[in-house]
Amino acid sequence: MREDTRAAALASLQAATPLRLHNLLERRPVGEAFEAVESGRLGAEVAPVEVLAEWQRELRGIDLGALSERLDSAGACVSTLRDPIHPVQLVNDVDPAPVLFSSGTLPDPSLAHVAVIGTRRASSIGREVAREIGMGLAEAGVVVVSGLALGIDGEAHRGALLANGAPPLAVVGSGIDVVYPKRHRELWAGVVAAGAVVTEAPLGGRPEPWRFPARNRLIAAFSDLVVVVESRASGGSLLTVEQALRRDVEVMAVPGSVRNKAAQGANQLLVDGCAPARDVVDVLVALGLSQATLATRRGRAGAGAADSAAGSCAGPAARSGALDAGGALVLDAIDDGPTSMDEVVHRSGLGVLEVYAHVEELVAAGLVVHDGSRIRRHLDVDRC
Amino acid sequence: MLASVPSSTLDGIDGAAVEVEVHVTNGLPAFTIVGLPDASCREARDRVRAAIESSDLSWPMQRITVNLAPTCVRKVGAGLDLPIGLGILAASEQIPLESLSDISAVGELGLDGSLRPVPGILPMVDVLKTNRVVVAAADAGVAALGAGDRVRPVRRLRDVVDVVCEGLPWPCVEPPAFTDEEADEPDLADVRGQTSARWALEIAAAGGHHLLLIGPPGGGKTMLARRLPGLLPDLSAEAARLVTRVHSAAAIRLPGSGLVRRPPFRAPHHSASMAALVGGGSGRVLPGEISVATEGVLFLDELGEFAPSVLDGLRQPLEEGVVRVARSGGMREHPANVLLVAAMNPCPCGEGGSVSCRCGPSARMRYSRRISGPVLDRLDVMVHVDRPSPTALLEREAGEPSSVVAERVARVRELALGRGARTNASLNREQLEDAAPLEPDATDVLHQALADGRLSARGAMRVRAVARTIRDLDDGGPTLRARDVYSAIGLRVRPPMGSFDA
Repeated sequence: MREDTRAAALASLQAATPLRLHNLLERRPVGEAFEAVESGRLGAEVAPVEVLAEWQRELRGIDLGALSERLDSAGACVSTLRDPIHPVQLVNDVDPAPVLFSSGTLPDPSLAHVAVIGTRRASSIGREVAREIGMGLAEAGVVVVSGLALGIDGEAHRGALLANGAPPLAVVGSGIDVVYPKRHRELWAGVVAAGAVVTEAPLGGRPEPWRFPARNRLIAAFSDLVVVVESRASGGSLLTVEQALRRDVEVMAVPGSVRNKAAQGANQLLVDGCAPARDVVDVLVALGLSQATLATRRGRAGAGAADSAAGSCAGPAARSGALDAGGALVLDAIDDGPTSMDEVVHRSGLGVLEVYAHVEELVAAGLVVHDGSRIRRHLDVDRC
Repeated sequence: MLASVPSSTLDGIDGAAVEVEVHVTNGLPAFTIVGLPDASCREARDRVRAAIESSDLSWPMQRITVNLAPTCVRKVGAGLDLPIGLGILAASEQIPLESLSDISAVGELGLDGSLRPVPGILPMVDVLKTNRVVVAAADAGVAALGAGDRVRPVRRLRDVVDVVCEGLPWPCVEPPAFTDEEADEPDLADVRGQTSARWALEIAAAGGHHLLLIGPPGGGKTMLARRLPGLLPDLSAEAARLVTRVHSAAAIRLPGSGLVRRPPFRAPHHSASMAALVGGGSGRVLPGEISVATEGVLFLDELGEFAPSVLDGLRQPLEEGVVRVARSGGMREHPANVLLVAAMNPCPCGEGGSVSCRCGPSARMRYSRRISGPVLDRLDVMVHVDRPSPTALLEREAGEPSSVVAERVARVRELALGRGARTNASLNREQLEDAAPLEPDATDVLHQALADGRLSARGAMRVRAVARTIRDLDDGGPTLRARDVYSAIGLRVRPPMGSFDA
């Protein structure tokens, strides 16, 4: 019987926490551990005796043939600490992942890994920043690690996929065959296709609340640097930060408005001494990747990281040159934050018709964003 | 003895002629009413009997049969009380039979013999062709709009008997005093600040473009919407008659003069049912709010709280300007030429778009999904209404008054009539090609927006119509400039919280 199927079977046992699995698998190979559980030859050093008894009963009920088929159909690969394919970052970790399920191709461990994380209830600006950082990092050949959650996590991966650069890596809290959140089905498939999705949860594992702190520790373990884009005063991202600090991984935070509740946690991190990350360049500099090496890495002589960070910057920059006086006046009247049309009318001193016309012209030129309610500058405008 | 009195009943918002035939013969005292009467009509027996006895006349202790012809039309309401009463009196020879020739009658009888007004008197007298039309005194003003000087207003049953038996002259009834209720329309001068919302309101009024107001609670969306009818010109004679007919049929209190001359404003609560909004109901098909608001403004506050199916029911009427309500008994076509104004919050907590919004992304998505795309697509102008700043509120200077804006609106509406359409919003494709030619750079703008996916093909047509109105309001030039098209795109409705949360 295949080793990986047995490992998957062990991981699927009730209350098989990473710690208990580690206790079980640390001393013996998977096959031996499997038989030990099956025959009830284990002591309380692995898990409480009643749990072991339960495991024994459960293990006898598992159809290994069916499990192995399920693994194959889910395209899942199972590895344990002893396997050569087990991600090297997790082998020497303080809190290692004893059994890991993955789907897709794990990114080369020699590439830099940066976690881009944050709140699920992010502001629109936070999402945009996460997407841009994700995109800039991937373009610069950095693996974007995140949790595929709603909000910041998902946007970071979306950006990484858009860049079509370094492969992304997602660490999730549900089984490899359980897409959670459902809204991210396409994104999930995209990450599997371009990089990998990994999890400690067994096949069919529900996204149980206790899985997420454990998942966050893996995000920290995989990463060389953690960037918090937006985080509330308390939340999962701060757990990841704790795990990162435990591993001496540097943490950076994107500064947010003091009025923005979604940015309170990130701002607190700055107060506590984290380095600020204004954009992808700050992150790359902290990673120690100079712009020159980035350029060589991407085989694009003369192209700086700043250009890549700004994304489609060349377009707006070229077009903004053609702005007439009225357009410039209106652009001046628009804040980086959401601005109401009336404010723009008031500040510019122009008529409503002109202001509406100019704003829409600026939208067409990609310089401002208008959602029907508010207008604000496109984040790249000033950088161009 | 047989007597026959012409009368009419309501069928939808139209009148239907009814011949009331009364047959009184010897036999056991009985009263039968046949010819598809509804419950209120069937109750006529007790009212008529009491009214006749209270008028010092006698109820014949004979066999009475009342037939309401034609029998295929459903008779509703108490308007047939008076003709039934007159028919009984004539058939029992208390009044001369020939005196009823050339008299038709509509009115509800009270137990004391007095005559009460009935809803829908205008469409009902429309179908009465006799030289004398007897109606309740309270209905006289409205009835005169349809039957002119053929109307004979009376206060009680006895009055009619006096005229036909004693040869007394028809009683002289003072028409109800004219009250200038129309002057009560709220004025735009009360609105402080709100530059862009005022402008959007003016565009909507001038071009007949449906309007969506989005903004936090307390921003003044309702206040602005209520000021929209004040910007519209008086109804044309034809429109005024139509609206009055609908209002009469819907039993809505008419202005003192009887004729509705100002565009109506209707603001149904968001719990409204499909039947309430588009018309229907069991029995008689009543006009819905969209018909009552015809030629005026239909204001749907809290658009997101309306039942989605009810909103979708508005799609066809908004497109065609009429609403066809089909029932097993046949189809009724009611007018539905409204200027739709909708208001909603940007998200459930109302603070959307600003940093203090407390809604999660999924809550916001659910909220914006409540309104179907096709409904949003019919709203051509969208504007954000913010809470006015304290300084604007404290400003003593009043805004531009409605009368000034209304003059500009009237001018643009004239232009639209000259183009062969009711309003710029109803210009069709060919008329737009003719009346709204694009300057070369305006064509580029439109093409760019289409290529970027910011506009659909349908959206581009609507944008052109709005741009036409914008130019008409600005300087009335013949062509559309790039700025007109840009502004129209800027005003185009997009789902709330759209691009900021894509």
